[in-house]
This record gives sequence, C-alpha cells and structure tokens, in this order.
Amino acid sequence: MISFSFLGIEKSYSDPSGKKLRVLGPVDLTVESGQFLCLLGPTGCGKTTLLRILSRLESADSGKIAMGSGNLGYVFQQGALFPWMTVESNVMFPLKAKGVKPGLCRSRAGEMLRKVGLYEFRRSFPHELSGGMQQRTALARGLVTEPDILLLDEPFASLDTRTGINLQEMLRKLCRSLSTTVVFVTHNIEEAVYMADRIVVMGHRPGRIVRDEILSLEWPRDRLSSDFTGVLLSFRQTFEELVDQ
Amino acid sequence: MDGRAPSERNTKAFWQRIRDLLPGLIIPVLILAAWYFYVDGSFLPSPSAVFYILLHPAEDILSCGSLLWNIGVSLVRVLLGLFIAIVVGTPFGFMMGANTGFRKFTSVVTELARPLSPIALLPLSIIVFKDTSFTEVLGLNSLKYTRHVLNELQIGMIFILAWGGVFPIILETMHGVRGVRKVYVEAARVLGASRTFIFRHVLLPASLPDIFTGYRMAVGRCWMVIIAAEMLPGTNSGIGYLLRYSYQLSRLDIMIACILIIAVIGFVFSRGLEYAGDRWLLLRARER
Ligand SMILES: Nc1ncnc2c1ncn2[C@@H]1O[C@H](COP(=O)(O)OP(=O)(O)OP(=O)(O)O)[C@@H](O)[C@H]1O
Ligand SMILES: [Mg+2]
Repeated sequence: MISFSFLGIEKSYSDPSGKKLRVLGPVDLTVESGQFLCLLGPTGCGKTTLLRILSRLESADSGKIAMGSGNLGYVFQQGALFPWMTVESNVMFPLKAKGVKPGLCRSRAGEMLRKVGLYEFRRSFPHELSGGMQQRTALARGLVTEPDILLLDEPFASLDTRTGINLQEMLRKLCRSLSTTVVFVTHNIEEAVYMADRIVVMGHRPGRIVRDEILSLEWPRDRLSSDFTGVLLSFRQTFEELVDQ
Repeated sequence: MDGRAPSERNTKAFWQRIRDLLPGLIIPVLILAAWYFYVDGSFLPSPSAVFYILLHPAEDILSCGSLLWNIGVSLVRVLLGLFIAIVVGTPFGFMMGANTGFRKFTSVVTELARPLSPIALLPLSIIVFKDTSFTEVLGLNSLKYTRHVLNELQIGMIFILAWGGVFPIILETMHGVRGVRKVYVEAARVLGASRTFIFRHVLLPASLPDIFTGYRMAVGRCWMVIIAAEMLPGTNSGIGYLLRYSYQLSRLDIMIACILIIAVIGFVFSRGLEYAGDRWLLLRARER
C-alpha cells in the first residue's frame, strides 16, 4: 500500500533582490506504508522544504501530492517543545487539538511517556530536561496520535553519539510497533544506514533525488559487520561526490 | 527542590523578601530623621503633625470625608479604569499582534492616540460626559444624595483612566503576540491544531509575560493620571483632590500626608504586581 507520493514537486523562493531561486527541482517520490525512509543530502538541498511541503506548512509551486489520510506527526530539530507547558501537557497537545476527551488524553499521553521512559518526568518543564530527554518528549508528542506518517527533521543532530544511538533504537522500535511510515531527515550517514529500510539521497541546486535504494541489511543491524560498513562507505562516497560538485 | 512543605517554603520566601527590602529603607529613614530633627514647623509641618493625620485615617478631614474614604475613592476609580483598559486593550492588542490586516487598519490610529496624555483629554471629557456618574448610568437615583462611592465614579474620569491604561496594554500585548517564536505556531499547526486552538493554547500563553508587563505599566500610569485628574476641576473627592484642597487652605500637614500615601500606594502596586508575576508559574516556566 502506498502511504504518500510526490509527483513533479517544484518549489522556488525569491531571494532578497527578487530573483527566483529554484530550491526543489521536480521531485518524484513514492513511499510505501510502514516504510522507514531516511533522507540524506548536503546542507541547503531542500530536505526541510520537502518536509514542510508534505506537512502543508508550505505549498509547492507545481506538482501533485497524493496522501492517504492526513494524520501527520512532526518532530523538529530542537526547541519546538512549548516551554510554558509540562512534559505531559506537551505530549497531550496534539490529542487535545484533535478534540480527544481530557481523561483519555491523559492516559494516552501517560502511556506514550512510559514508552519513551519519561513518565517520572511528566510534571517537569522542558528546560529542566537534558537535550536527549527533550527530544524524547518531542518524539512522544509526534507519535502520541499514532500518525500514519511521522516526519523528523534532524531530530538527533544536537545530541552526543551515545544518546543519539539510544534514541535511534527507540524510534525504530516505536515506529515498527505502530507501523508508522517515517521520513527521517539527517546529515548523519551512519544514522541513516542503521535505521532505514530505504535511503534517498538528494543533491542540490536544484534539490533532486540522486540515489534511491532499499537496504537489504538484516535486523538487528550490527554497526561493525562488513555488510554494514560496505553500505556505509558506498553512501559516503555518493555524498562526497555531491559535496565536491 | 528541597524536602520541606510548600507552605513552609513560602513563609521563608516571604521573610526573605522582607529582608531584601531592608537596605532600601535606609534612605527613607534618614530623610525622616532629618525632617524630624531639623524642621521646626514654621515652613514645613513637623512629622508629628503629619503622622497624626496618618494615624487617624477614619476621621473627617476638612469636611471632605476621611482619609480612608478618599483613598478608597481614588483606588476604586483606578481599578475600574484599569479593568476597562484590560478588557478593551487585551483583545485589541492581541488582534493587532495576530492579524496583519487588523494591525494595518488600526496602527495609525493607535500611534496617534497613544502620545495624547490623558490629562490633556480631561476638559474635553468633562464637556462630553458632564459630571455624569455611575449612579445615574445605573439608574440608582435613590443613592444620589448619599455618600456612596458610585456617586464619585464620574464617567469622564473613568474614561481618561482607561485611556491612560489601554495603550501600554495594547502595545505590550501586540509585541508579545508578534514575538512568539514561529516554530511554536508551526509545531502546533502540523500537530493538527486549528486557528482558534492556536490562539488559545499557543499565542496566549506564550505572550502572557508581555501582557502582564503591559498591565503593570498600566497600573503605574493610571495611578499617576488619577492623582493629576483629581487635582483638576471635575471632582471633589479622592486623594488628589484632598491634596489640592489642603494646599488651598494651607494645611500642609494634610498635604504631605497625602503625598506620602500616594507614594506608598504606588510602591505597593508595582511591587505587588512584580511579586504576583514572579509567583505565577506561567511566567516562570519560560525558556531561559
Ligand atoms: N523561507 C525561505 N525564503 C527563501 N529561501 C528559503 C526559504 N526557506 C528555505 N530557503 C532556501 O531553500 C534552500 C533549501 O532550504 P532547506 O531548509 O530546505 O534545506 P535543507 O536541506 O533542510 O538544509 P539543512 O540540511 O541545512 O537543514 C536553501 O538554499 C535556503 O536558502
Ligand atoms: Mg533543514
């Protein structure tokens, strides 16, 4: 089953002098339901723009988006938790926004917080948590409505490696159990190879897809196996060629 | 977090606040002492004469009612004016912050009206509203010839108070709403929140500290305006009126008592609101 597809999506921004700047060249992309897709690409190639178009924060200039249901979750890079709300209220927010009854909101948020291991911290405020805990809260907020599609924009970029790896495992497991379709934007190639069912590499000026591959690595993945490092190296090479251009 | 009960912690915090206040009291005490020892009562009244007035607040003064009555009249006027300013200014400023069209539509008028001192509007306000008080507005004619605070709430006076208070509230609220980080609004939108839900649960709480600052500024302004307004024609009650009337009768002891009261009430307003703002969880839980 298809979760969503992009057909000839294009987007330009006008720079300060008023000149049109093509950010996304026509992009075609079809994603299967339940697929964990990692989107790799050098900075400025339009990854965030792609997610914003998919979540309708931005509209495309031309092209078509086909999507089953519109139930989305979105996790920002950092700092998008509401600082005036407790962890629990942050996680309850999307439920409340969708009109779920308060009692049910609380129990579902509590359940989700247990899954990310933050139930004890539900009454804390975001600024009282470490960066990793904040991103776990953000994950819980993005997943609490059990969305069909979860979009993540470099959610672990600001964390140290160890915390990042833990969160990668947690995210992968959670999304598997909820059979969520995932689009995960990252700069980190190892992160992508560790988590993804499929990796899409974008090039820039204008943003377009240069490599699209379904990974055949077995689960659970071993970062030290030769298969893993082989895949990692091949993507690293693609990436370096792109940056050199 | 320490392990003590919240009430105990609060009491402790309260005494800490009092202690923090003490160094600031040194200068006032020195001034009082100088006044006590060097002023002989011929040019300025002696402190004891002034304190006599202050210590008998319920006694009638110059047939104008007691000190307490006049303080009460001024306070009720300020609170009513402030209430109107809040009720009008908060949604207005909120709309100006949240809606570009509305801001363009109203910003010239607000910018023109804002620097206009409320005192400058007092004569006009008296001409327009005459000396109509709330007794008449509410149709309570039986109260008309009694001493009742409603008789002292002249529409014109309340109008200029609301005028003085409304602009700081409008501006601070507008800036607060405009300053809300875009990522909060976008996060709410992608998580499925409707426009009204975002208003209520994102824009409002995120701009609350600024709105509160607006209220604080408004209280200060209203307190200044009311004293000045009461010294002008249009009323014969209130602490400002008592101040001017005692001056005319050369009762400087009463006059100085009034000045002290005005200062202390202004101080209590600003410190009290600061304290309330700090205690308010919403204001503390902001990002640092
Ligand atoms: N609102 C905007 N106005 C003008 N230009 C924009 C705007 N948003 C993005 N751009 C431009 O579009 C291009 C793509 O931006 P985008 O944020 O999608 O890149 P990205 O791939 O997410 O980069 P990064 O990896 O650094 O996050 C950039 O060159 C950026 O300058
Ligand atoms: Mg980006």
